[in-house]
Amino acid sequence: MKRGIQPADFPQLILILMLVLTVAMIWLDPIIVDKRLDSKTVGSLVLFGVFGGLTFIDLFLALGTVAALLAMFWGERRWHAVVGIGLMMPALIFLLFDQVFEIRFPRGVLTNLWYG
Amino acid sequence: MDAFINGFISLGDPQLLLVLLVSTLGGVVIGALPGLNATNGAALLLPFTLSMEAIPAIASLVAIYCSATFAGAITAILINTPGTPASATTCLDGYPLAQRGEAGRALGLAVVSSTIGGVLSVICLMIAAPLLARMAYQFTPPEYFALTLFGMSMLASIGEGSPLKNLISGTFGVFLALVGVDMLTSVERFTFGSHDLYDGIGFVPVMIGIFGISELIVQASSLDKRKERVSMKAVQLPTRDDYRQVWKTILRSSGIGIFIGILPAEGATVASMIGYNEAKRWSKTPEQFGKGAIEGIAGSEAANNAATGGAMVPTLALGIPGSATAAVILAGLMVHGIRPGPSMFTEQANFAYTIFWSMMLVNLLFLVVGLTGAKIFARITLIPTQVLWPCVFMVSIVGAYALDQSMFDVWIVLISGIIGFFMRRYGFSVVPLAIGLILGEMLEQRLGQSMVMLDEKWWLMFTRPLALLFFCLTIAALFGPVLWTKYLVRVFK
Repeated sequence: MKRGIQPADFPQLILILMLVLTVAMIWLDPIIVDKRLDSKTVGSLVLFGVFGGLTFIDLFLALGTVAALLAMFWGERRWHAVVGIGLMMPALIFLLFDQVFEIRFPRGVLTNLWYG
Repeated sequence: MDAFINGFISLGDPQLLLVLLVSTLGGVVIGALPGLNATNGAALLLPFTLSMEAIPAIASLVAIYCSATFAGAITAILINTPGTPASATTCLDGYPLAQRGEAGRALGLAVVSSTIGGVLSVICLMIAAPLLARMAYQFTPPEYFALTLFGMSMLASIGEGSPLKNLISGTFGVFLALVGVDMLTSVERFTFGSHDLYDGIGFVPVMIGIFGISELIVQASSLDKRKERVSMKAVQLPTRDDYRQVWKTILRSSGIGIFIGILPAEGATVASMIGYNEAKRWSKTPEQFGKGAIEGIAGSEAANNAATGGAMVPTLALGIPGSATAAVILAGLMVHGIRPGPSMFTEQANFAYTIFWSMMLVNLLFLVVGLTGAKIFARITLIPTQVLWPCVFMVSIVGAYALDQSMFDVWIVLISGIIGFFMRRYGFSVVPLAIGLILGEMLEQRLGQSMVMLDEKWWLMFTRPLALLFFCLTIAALFGPVLWTKYLVRVFK
């Protein structure tokens, strides 16, 4: 015999509540967007996609590349800053997490050089 | 009483002292950087605390909470950009005062007001949290369910979104909390056969995403804003005349901040708005507000820092977050296997009091840090966005990966960051989502226990006085925001 709420009951209740609230929102407080996404935002979102793709090659290659591209795309022109963001920061973060926190990162083109 | 003294003695641990000092400095840096605040700062640094013991880990999170809330005033006063949303009202009088060449005086007043507000709130926390926890011992599942529901309903009034959108956001958070295997029956829910979803969606990656990554995308659209910093010679302590002018404001705003902080889900931002408004209402020279009134700075800063201690009361005593940052701290407690609630004050009393004393020390530490180092921290405000945020991106991703050493968490960070950005763009606050995600499991568990206890007769919950009180408060919280919005419109018109 069923006793207490069943695994599907509460999620159904929440989904119904969300539906009711959404209908109420459409009626009482509709979403209004007054301007389109600007190019910097769209570009940043695209870079996230690039990051997703590059992670299959190497996580830190993806991080360094996308962080440097992001900085350049946002207007950073000083080469030492871009190098710092694209090379130094990922290297420092890797060493911090690998040596201090003993985190094992997924193997990839660059991490294999460290892990052997 | 033993725990109270033991907690104080624990502060003598050099490792804890070092953690508190570093976290306070880190919190001040986070708060001074526009775009980063106590919430996303704590979320980003949460993975770094995983390798620590529970006490230093949570102490570091509360240190970031307190010091970042204070440090928002640095940017508010010097570059007219609130470092944290809670410092928005500090801009109104802090920046005009700085433009008049009195930046040091404005910062000094902000530091002192924040410290007094913070210290008073910790004293209140030390008294109120154990009392509330003792009271909560009387609670059975129906009372807990009603209380959690009340906490959820408070979501309607928080954040920048409208009440209805906040509720949708909170409900979405609850829904996300239900993903994974049901603990009682082992039935999979919304896993779509994915092994990574068996244990549910981790709240830490979601928080890093919605607070950190979504802010990064928001920053992309505000790159053209130029920051002009007002020069400052040194921070000045308030004079006797200043104290005479603001002491009542500081005490009043501290009281307001503590009260607002204790309310579930309300935080420093609401507290500072009310604190500022009440300072103006009680002032003998309200016409000076907005032109550099020192009471405005004191009212806002005392209230927002007082809210930090207040927010920790329901967080630790009931397990219901008192603010967005408290939700992150709650997540930190859970990750370290600590379940906040009444039992914390009996089974882990030393832990609770060590955290209280740590908060007290942090409030005194940032007085020193603020007075001696504000000039240095003011320089941090000029770190270019295009350098800072790519670094934040890397820390977010690696931090999320480090939690379980799983790339799945990285995808969660990215997806929740993008969802969070679009939510904010369309007028939904992400704070209710975070709180809903944390409270979702608890809400379902307590409803289930209540149903078993009441033999499926759910309406019997309304016959229990305490539960009925919480249900009434829930209704008040749901309809209160409408009245609150009208009040704010009238005040800030």
